[in-house]
Amino acid sequence: MFCYQCEQTPHAATGNGCHEAKGVCGKDETTADLQDLMLYGVQGVAQYAKRLRQFDLPQPKADEFILYTLFTTLTNVNFNANRFAELIKETAKLRVELKDLYNKTANERNVQIETFTGAAQWQPASTMAGLLIQAKEAAVNVELSEVGEDIVGLRAMLLYGIKGTAAYAYHALMLGYSDEEIYAEFEEALDFMATHSKDANALLNWAMRIGQLNYKVMALLDSANTGSFGTQQITQVNLSPVKGKAILVSGHDLHDLATLLEQTKDLGINVYTHGELLPAHAYPKLKAYPHLVGNYGGAWQNQHLDFAQFPGAILMTSNCLVEPAAAYRHRIFTAGPVGWAGIRHIQNNDFSPVIEAAQALHGFDEDKPAQFITVGFGKDTVMSVADKVIDGIKAGDIKHFFLIGGCDGAAPGRNYFTEVAELAPQDSIILTLGCGKFRFNTHDFGDIGGIPRLLDMGQCNDSYSAIQVALALSKAFDCNVNELPLSMMISWFEQKAVAVLLTLLSLGVRGIHLGPTLPAFLTPNLLAKLGETFDLKPTGIAANDVEAALRARA
Amino acid sequence: MSNHLITLTTRDGQVLTFDAQDSQDVVSAAAICNITLPSLCRDGGCGACLAHCESGEYTLGNYNESMLPSELKAQRQVLLCRTFPHSNLQLNAPYDYAHIQFGEQVGKTATITQLEKIANRTLKLQLKLGDDDKAVEFEAGQYVEIEIPQTNIRRAYSLANTANWQGELDFLIRVQPQGQFTTFLNEKAALGQTFTVYVPKGTFEFHSQRFNPAIFIAGGTGLAPFLSMLTKMAQWGENREVHLFFGVNDETELFCLEELAKLQQQLSNLKITQCVWKPRDTWQGFSGTPAQALQKYLQENPNDYDIYLCGPPMLVNSCVEIAKTHGISDTQIFSEKFG
Repeated sequence: MFCYQCEQTPHAATGNGCHEAKGVCGKDETTADLQDLMLYGVQGVAQYAKRLRQFDLPQPKADEFILYTLFTTLTNVNFNANRFAELIKETAKLRVELKDLYNKTANERNVQIETFTGAAQWQPASTMAGLLIQAKEAAVNVELSEVGEDIVGLRAMLLYGIKGTAAYAYHALMLGYSDEEIYAEFEEALDFMATHSKDANALLNWAMRIGQLNYKVMALLDSANTGSFGTQQITQVNLSPVKGKAILVSGHDLHDLATLLEQTKDLGINVYTHGELLPAHAYPKLKAYPHLVGNYGGAWQNQHLDFAQFPGAILMTSNCLVEPAAAYRHRIFTAGPVGWAGIRHIQNNDFSPVIEAAQALHGFDEDKPAQFITVGFGKDTVMSVADKVIDGIKAGDIKHFFLIGGCDGAAPGRNYFTEVAELAPQDSIILTLGCGKFRFNTHDFGDIGGIPRLLDMGQCNDSYSAIQVALALSKAFDCNVNELPLSMMISWFEQKAVAVLLTLLSLGVRGIHLGPTLPAFLTPNLLAKLGETFDLKPTGIAANDVEAALRARA
Repeated sequence: MSNHLITLTTRDGQVLTFDAQDSQDVVSAAAICNITLPSLCRDGGCGACLAHCESGEYTLGNYNESMLPSELKAQRQVLLCRTFPHSNLQLNAPYDYAHIQFGEQVGKTATITQLEKIANRTLKLQLKLGDDDKAVEFEAGQYVEIEIPQTNIRRAYSLANTANWQGELDFLIRVQPQGQFTTFLNEKAALGQTFTVYVPKGTFEFHSQRFNPAIFIAGGTGLAPFLSMLTKMAQWGENREVHLFFGVNDETELFCLEELAKLQQQLSNLKITQCVWKPRDTWQGFSGTPAQALQKYLQENPNDYDIYLCGPPMLVNSCVEIAKTHGISDTQIFSEKFG
């Protein structure tokens, strides 16, 4: 096993990354190795899908499979080794189908058939032992001694960016939104990965291409979310339990939430969001369900406590899952790409096992005193008060913007982001998104001329909204984004944050503070390169960073 | 009377400590601290509380030697329900921390909804929990303790169905001529009779994260946990490679054959061998014990298997020996004994 895709992986002088029997996230060696092997096979699928697209034969089944398999390998998504053994077989089967179609079509059209080596020719071993031997050749660091840690790090950054982008594209697809240009770019990217490039510039260029791809994908997902459920509205969300039977929905997938809300309509079951689903309350067609009663618990890393205390059924629709504790392992269910051995997986959007569980469990005995927070400051909401914001800036009432967003995690260093929010002066606006906000989103930051100082823009993919707001401000003030009084403190944890970071870099955003620790795949040379090109820097001491930000953009 | 610190390290490396006195066995001492360690008979008769003592002094009370043969005893293997400490003990348990239950064990009331003789010496018992608490949460393979009314006597039976939210608990009961529970069922129980049942326990479960093909060996009503595991696989769409050997004494003792046939329709990788020890001349299936069937199967189909055993101690012990002679290690053998 070798994995260094998430923030919590060990950083050590002897070498970064998880390479023991079990990673820090809880993923065991077998699962990690099978994930690597599956993605190796998926490169072969993409190689043929790309060639078939060149014959005007796009392969929607393959494109969905590519997104799904990439998504299953994100941090804290799927820990079920047997599932990956099955997916490896499916990968090879699909690749054979595509290859046959490619060969047949090429013959029919008198086109020279390309010959491939590596992923496109790979055949999975028939035994588990054989698969695990093959997996060694698919490891992220397989050619370390030959190409060195910088090239391995660049390949990893590219792969992790592709993974994060795929997760967003999968959410959009579940809502019926797809884009052939986007799928073509995924196929191109994986085809490039299959070449095992040793060219640092080519890899860096591809990382920027993935940043651009993710920008398009986030726009697609924004369209999917707003097209399906309406534009976000400012909404008060109750954080307290309501008497009655209960289902808690965690993860990011609005489609799963909407389906569950429809299936629980009029059943007397209250539905609560958890973690990254909090912004769901801001969408008109979701909040129209009266039994979507509130949000329960905090960020993902507190789920052992939150889930154990929740007296109903729990549904996990995407990351971030950690090993279900005995106290709730029979009443937690997974959906979509998520999985854990021994935990019931919901198939075909049939949530009846979740509903049966909720009906059998006690639910909440009584109403607790309501406590509200405000969500719904997506791009449309913020744009609707753009004049007011611009006037506030011109009048000197608003002097600075802080974008404090991204993932949360258990590391003590994450207090940095709370401290930045607290230290942000009264004449500054705080834009937030992702689950990092759970550290400070119940604080009362007040308002500036009626505009709340804390604006929750939504899920991590709503960084698209933040970018749109920044672009609108830069247009209003006829400057580029880097000249705005805007500082970005990004907390990262997993690969969607890598994709968002690549997007920001590809848009030329400079001076981002990234923390609480820097990615383990960024070697000193790569950090120096990114520092030089983008002024990317680690989070430091909150007070110093806030002071420097205010001084620099004064 | 001295207090001793008991330190128990579970298979997954977690550590639990509690106090015990000289006069208390380890399972009882833990129970006083509201810690329920996996155990079944609490009388040295079933082997469900087998553990290893790393250090410390202790005495073993009376126990069934087939559950703790002398060679295991010499290796400081212990049955915790019969282990009386004389010093602090460091114990290693062969189960995970998640198998230990904490807090007071409160019983639930369940009513008989089905009581039916389904074969010679076998009853099917179905209980249902009350409407206010219909959550039946357990791992396939676990057992439930049922209290005989007007006594403090509990008997443990493996659940034959799967976790459900309808309050249903299915059991297969071997009729023991002198058995207190079966006597009660035969003589006093009827539909509507209520029992107190306790939360499911036990460490005998299917290890879904393992990959080897599985062999299930069921002796008589030892079929119950396997019915539970296979039904769960069918419900969850997990088509694992499993060969079930189901053994009885004669054909009149066979049961649940329709259920097994239905499971085979749902699970294409499930193979079943019925083993009848003393069949009539007309018997077309395997003649002999499941242990003999296992021996033959392993000779003809050598492979790396995970072996799950549930049945009387003699059957389980002989199957373990056979498996080991075919190179299957202890870590690939999972068993539960009863009788």
